[in-house]
Amino acid sequence: MGIHKVEPSDAELVRRVRAGDTGAYGALVSRYRDRLGRYAVHMIGDREDAEEALQDSFVRAYRSLARCDDPARFGAWLYGILVNRCRTTGARAARRRRMFVHDAQALDGAAHADRADRLDWTDAVDRALTRLAPDYREAFLLKHVEDLEYEEIAELTGAGVSALKMRVKRAREQLQKYLREAEHV
Amino acid sequence: MFEREEETVERVIQHLRRPVAIDAGLDARVMREIAQTPSQGRRAWPLWPLVAAAAVLAAVLFARPWNRNATSKADTLQFVLVAPQAASVALVGDFNDWDPARAPMQTAHGVWATVVRLAPGRYRYAFLVNGVEWRADPGAPAAKDDEFGTPSSVVTVGGRGS
Repeated sequence: MGIHKVEPSDAELVRRVRAGDTGAYGALVSRYRDRLGRYAVHMIGDREDAEEALQDSFVRAYRSLARCDDPARFGAWLYGILVNRCRTTGARAARRRRMFVHDAQALDGAAHADRADRLDWTDAVDRALTRLAPDYREAFLLKHVEDLEYEEIAELTGAGVSALKMRVKRAREQLQKYLREAEHV
Repeated sequence: MFEREEETVERVIQHLRRPVAIDAGLDARVMREIAQTPSQGRRAWPLWPLVAAAAVLAAVLFARPWNRNATSKADTLQFVLVAPQAASVALVGDFNDWDPARAPMQTAHGVWATVVRLAPGRYRYAFLVNGVEWRADPGAPAAKDDEFGTPSSVVTVGGRGS
């Protein structure tokens, strides 16, 4: 009952953008901003870097829209761009973190346990997620948080389905382990 | 507190699935950037109107009149405002006696636009959002000499003083 707003499909919006309606791209940005943003924030672990990666991905996608072979699957194509962008950002951030963490651990190893004791659930999850290897974190987030099928993840990441299943399994095991550690320190 | 390990992971998943607030200005930044930067992809499209539309948008964002034809007396300009939350936006300025009824803007998914044809000259203008909120054009020079106390911008057509 009532009036229902019918949203144009991705394919329709892509067609409009290609036909010169730049504003239609705003609808695609709006449609995917929050979902992709969530992935970027969890994957990169830093909101500012994540938003930069997200913005850059939208711009790259626009510039390359002619290469989107199947406009109906614009979302999956966009995910692929963001996944690659997050890998680049993540690698840079990891290098920064490694330089920082070595010094920090040497300085206050004992104090670490005391701080962990005060972590709330959000901090504990964030910390556990950060400790996962990037390819484990990537597979876990795409499978369980973004709810993609293994075949879709394989297409996005270039990894085989069996390798992805292994990564997700290991990620689950490691998350359990890290959270158990956080609970008992 | 004892919790089965699988339940722990499920709790993590539910926690991570919660919405993450992304800066509301991101949409506008993306739209500004795609309007300003020439695209390689566009060359592959047999659709010259996209190039023209982007050029118009970029021109307005920089408050530079887009001169379709240097010999013409008037220029056709597209004014654009990204305002996803707005229910209505009108373009008001010296060229329409600041009358919102004369230049209502059309929206495409939060990007409001209208096209006006202006004779050479310098014009002050603003966007009237929801009939009550005055906004200057974030991509154009601010008018320094506006006597009405509301924000406004300046566009110059045909190269005359600003």
